[in-house]
Amino acid sequence: MDINITGPKIYFTIPIFGGINVTQTMVSLLAVTILVTVVAFILTRKIEKRPSGKQVIAEKLVGMLTDMVVETMGAHNKRFVPFIGTLFVSSMLGSLIGMTQIFRSTTADLSTTAAWAIATILVVWYGNIKNFGLLTWLKGFTEPIPLLTPMNIISEIATPISMAFRHFGNVAGGGVLMTIVYGALSGLSSLVFAWLPEAVIEFIPPVFQVGIPAVLSIYFDLFSGFVQALVFSLLSMVYIGMANPPREEIQKNK
Amino acid sequence: MEGFEQFIGVNFWTMIFAWCNLLILYFILRKLLFKPIMNMIESRQKEIDDIYEKAEEYRTDAAKTKAEYEWKLDQVKAEGEEYLKNTVKLARKKEEEILKEAGERAERTLKRAEEQIELERKRAVNEVKDEVSGMAIEIAAAVIERDIDEAEHKALIDSFISGMGE
Repeated sequence: MDINITGPKIYFTIPIFGGINVTQTMVSLLAVTILVTVVAFILTRKIEKRPSGKQVIAEKLVGMLTDMVVETMGAHNKRFVPFIGTLFVSSMLGSLIGMTQIFRSTTADLSTTAAWAIATILVVWYGNIKNFGLLTWLKGFTEPIPLLTPMNIISEIATPISMAFRHFGNVAGGGVLMTIVYGALSGLSSLVFAWLPEAVIEFIPPVFQVGIPAVLSIYFDLFSGFVQALVFSLLSMVYIGMANPPREEIQKNK
Repeated sequence: MEGFEQFIGVNFWTMIFAWCNLLILYFILRKLLFKPIMNMIESRQKEIDDIYEKAEEYRTDAAKTKAEYEWKLDQVKAEGEEYLKNTVKLARKKEEEILKEAGERAERTLKRAEEQIELERKRAVNEVKDEVSGMAIEIAAAVIERDIDEAEHKALIDSFISGMGE
């Protein structure tokens, strides 16, 4: 059996702008968007002061996220809750959707994680420029000594790159590992049943693929997907929070 | 026209697509989930705070009213006691006055009675004296058979009788 480790499949190419490849990732992204929209719609269809059933779940989710944001970024940054929540949900479901085997994990494509990391860093830069002013922000790169300016610039650019690669690497690596494990287990079954006549082997299912991958999948798909979503949104919170300090601190630094 | 993207590679159009999805999802979630739920939680929190505040207000009011009533009750009790005390005092005074007056009256009556008695006695004594002196004169006249000048000897007899009567 061949083990192919490839990027997302290209379904077709729209022949404009030099060819737009419609890939599995795009379909998965759309699926996640639709899924989240539908779930959000169902959860908040009838909002009442005395919550019941699904509204409790929605409030719990929003409340947990708000608590996390307030804890990491401070109460004055509550307006970023929807952004962080969108990142978290997109990342989490983007990773988990790969388990359906119908869709490919959106986060197993560097394009997706890079797009999100760039979105985060743009929000960070916007916050910095808005709160401290363009010049003060640029001057910040020459501190503590001007000699470190290139280092500071590199570290600023490295931030989104490292975020993107961390997320992509974890999910894609997990996927690769799972593919290898499936391949290996399939090889193991054909090895064990090698003494049977060839005509019979074709009808024997790859029995070793049952059970063992499930345990690994819990780690590489479920746990890793959750942890990476958490890490990505936590890092976003920290960076955005640093760019949006409390009002008193902005006044002090000006 | 099937194929695969690179395993590690960035496709610009996929990125654009991811951005669009992120943006759309952001607006949808903000509109559909976060805004209404957060508003609801906030308004509920406010309502609960209001209720607690009101309850506290009522409690303070009740405590104040209770203290007020207790104070009033104490006041009334003290007033009653004072009134009672005053009344008793007044009654005692009146009693004393009445007793004193009664004593005085009794004394006065007694004195007047004594005076009356004395007067009566004197009158009686005088009467007796008169009668006795008359009788003595008559007797003496009879005895001596001589007309005694009544007027001449009256003083003599009187002095005799008064010495006897006493």
